[in-house]
Amino acid sequence: MRAILVDVTRCTGCERCVDACVEKNGTDPVKAQIDRLVSADGLSENRLLSVPQVAAGRFSRLSCMHCLEPSCVSACLVGGITKTPEGPVVYDPEKCIGCRYCMLACPFHVPRYEWGETTPFMRKCDMCADRQAEGREPACVEACPNEALRFGERDDLLREAHELIDRHRGAYLPRVWGEHELGGTSVLYISDVDLGAMGWPGPRTAPIPSLTEPLIAKTPFVGLSVAAGLLGINWVIRRRMRLAMESAAGTGFGESMGTDDDGRSSTEGNS
Amino acid sequence: MNTRVRMLKDVLWALALAGFVAGVFRLWFGLGATTNLSDAVPWGLWKILNMVAGVAISTSGFSMGFLVYVLGLERYRPLMKPAILVAFLGYGCSCLALLFDIGLPWRFWHPFLMWNEHSFLFEVFWCVTLYFTVTAIELAPTVFEKLKAEKATRLLHRITFWVVIVGISLSSLHHSSLGSLFLVTPQRLHPLWYSALLPLLFILSAMGGGLMFLVLVRILHAHWYDRKAVFGPTQLERELILVRSRSLADSVNAREVGRDMPMLTGVARVATGILSLYLALEIYHLGHAEAWSALLAGTWESWLFGTELLITAVIPILLVWLPAFRSSPTALTVAALSASAGLLLNRVDVGIFGYFRSAGEVYFPSLAEWALSLGVVAAAALVFLAFVEHAAVFSPPPGTNAVRRGVDVSFDSLSRVWHTALSSGPERTTLIAVLVVPLAWACMYPPYSSTHPAEVREASRMDVTGERLRLDGDRGGVLTEFPHAACQKRLGSDSSCVSCHHMSLPGDTTTPCARCHRHMTEETLIFDHAYHIQAVADSLGLEGARGSNQTCVSCHAAESARTTATAKACVECHGEWTKVYAEGSKDLARATSYLEAMHGTCLACHEDEAEKRNRPELRECSTCHTSLTPLGAPGPVLARRQ
Repeated sequence: MRAILVDVTRCTGCERCVDACVEKNGTDPVKAQIDRLVSADGLSENRLLSVPQVAAGRFSRLSCMHCLEPSCVSACLVGGITKTPEGPVVYDPEKCIGCRYCMLACPFHVPRYEWGETTPFMRKCDMCADRQAEGREPACVEACPNEALRFGERDDLLREAHELIDRHRGAYLPRVWGEHELGGTSVLYISDVDLGAMGWPGPRTAPIPSLTEPLIAKTPFVGLSVAAGLLGINWVIRRRMRLAMESAAGTGFGESMGTDDDGRSSTEGNS
Repeated sequence: MNTRVRMLKDVLWALALAGFVAGVFRLWFGLGATTNLSDAVPWGLWKILNMVAGVAISTSGFSMGFLVYVLGLERYRPLMKPAILVAFLGYGCSCLALLFDIGLPWRFWHPFLMWNEHSFLFEVFWCVTLYFTVTAIELAPTVFEKLKAEKATRLLHRITFWVVIVGISLSSLHHSSLGSLFLVTPQRLHPLWYSALLPLLFILSAMGGGLMFLVLVRILHAHWYDRKAVFGPTQLERELILVRSRSLADSVNAREVGRDMPMLTGVARVATGILSLYLALEIYHLGHAEAWSALLAGTWESWLFGTELLITAVIPILLVWLPAFRSSPTALTVAALSASAGLLLNRVDVGIFGYFRSAGEVYFPSLAEWALSLGVVAAAALVFLAFVEHAAVFSPPPGTNAVRRGVDVSFDSLSRVWHTALSSGPERTTLIAVLVVPLAWACMYPPYSSTHPAEVREASRMDVTGERLRLDGDRGGVLTEFPHAACQKRLGSDSSCVSCHHMSLPGDTTTPCARCHRHMTEETLIFDHAYHIQAVADSLGLEGARGSNQTCVSCHAAESARTTATAKACVECHGEWTKVYAEGSKDLARATSYLEAMHGTCLACHEDEAEKRNRPELRECSTCHTSLTPLGAPGPVLARRQ
């Protein structure tokens, strides 16, 4: 499983990575430049990567976190988003119906929609899965002039991150963002300022699919037991009505209260 | 047909036609051009009001099925047909609105073939489409009865019970799943509405509110078609009965409310029973620390939540159960109205308002969104009225279904004048269409211009103190402190200017870099054609429009296209000062981007020095970009997202 390690203390906010991303993904560079000013966090359908300020003088690469247990993958009703074993969370535009549930489900507000198009699709970073397949690193990592982005195996990068934190005591906060949060992500951060502004939750939060998937697994069971319960209730009630009718038959009341075999009351014809 | 029904239908037709125009625009121009949805608020009116709330309010089909078929409560059977009709139309218009809401409507069938059984939306999709089919099957006997297809009616009656059981199971699944849809947003949905109990809260409120909506539908139907059935005789009729009454029984009848009131009160009691469960669960939810502190925070969300709970549950429960209001049709109407509105408000709160805080953005639906949303509902209401008038939905069928065609002369109680009008029918609808469609077209026509302002900010002028320069080309907050004086001294004082600066505009000595390198990452076109025409005309002593027309040949070769390629090189007129950086090139019309210009000026020297003096840190970005940036500079600055 590959990952990207972002060293926030080394990022100068030059946005070379954004230019490389725009070029690699073939989005409109002029619109991307405008969206830098218009979008609150700098992300847009033309700008799949942004480098916003997270604190005074501190910049951070912001894009898809490629969660290990992604909320969007679990949410997409047609299975159009998948987490590949290599690390990237990739989107299949051929399946998408445009429901935008992934945008609601993402805890980092990352997926963007091509609102201006008449055949719109979702857009997000795919960690350059195609470049990775060719054995190259993602375009943003290659473009970084200051080694703020590093690409490699997730385990190696985690080790490296902890080494850096240990070696330069005081230079970093003792936390690797993305190691455990929401079940872990494939984009890791080390920083000397808190990254809560990026939407990171508490250090050991459960992955979002763990909130829904145990529930939905019970669906067939719930449906069948509701149906069984209904039949049971109906059986009891029909039996009671039949008994009441039989006991009333002697006294001459209740002749019209019978039910036939399929459970419909014989009074239906009158209504 | 009475005037009130006709006016109701006129309004419904107008809304439906406006909705039709909105639908055409949505399909033609796309989602972004017709809606106010954004990346921050991706789910809007169509999905939340029409789908989530619309489905919730149409639950009466399955709850009445439970009461009548499973529990065998025959006294509620007269409400069965309207309940099924409400369910069928409610689900129908939800599905229709959803078709317009999804980005690629022609792919609506994908979830049938492409499965992700981990997704609650997938479950909702399947259950809603299946249940829609179930309501169609349940509704079919009503249609077949009208068509006198007795064999089919009998067959359908035989399977009704099983269809109802399937329908209830499907409903219990998807009504809770609609709540579970929002379970994936623990960080985004406001804590007042986010709860692990959402599935349970959703199904309870839907069942209670749905039944109350059915009561409301019955009352409204009575209001327009069959007043006596609910409200009893009018004051005038009562007095007449009293005057004519010969027996005690008649005078008792005169005081009574309508014959359907006991049935409706019964349904309302069941509904408020469910709603009180819902209320208890909501109070239990408020016991969680986060929700409780959010309620006491006194934000607009707390007030909204309080209002919602009040009108969804508290008011209906009180109105239905307090002895003072018992058997009062007016109180029942208010209770049903309040519960239905509360149910809708709850869904809109969970789906839209609850996200405003985390999105940092407020969403208000566009005109087209309102038009389509209400138009679909209005169309469903028209179908409902057609069913009511032509099939035996409410029994006994109202006797007023003789539709007259042509010109209708009547007294209008609203305007208090006799007037001539087209009675209902195609003529009247055509007239409404002629009035409404162009108006809707004009109001909702999407503007062609993009919503993004297409202006590019100019690079700022620098703070030229000579000692330290603060370089910030686009005021984006990526600021560099440049020790100008120190660099100047190192490179040889006064004579060193040209080692970094190229010559500036004619006559200028201190042109700021940003005057020409205006854009951070893009080239800037700096050749001012209009200025050159005037300048050449002035220098040749030509005047007026004719004068400026004669200047072309001063730069462009005669008898050829007037392009950059046929123009003289700048250096031919401007001489020495352009030679420094022209290097024979004619095209001086473009200045490089600010970023490139600045880096180009400094980097070469820095890299040389890093090598020469063996100081590799000189090459590093952080040498100059010390990030002495104040927060609040334009450009993306992440405000805290939660």
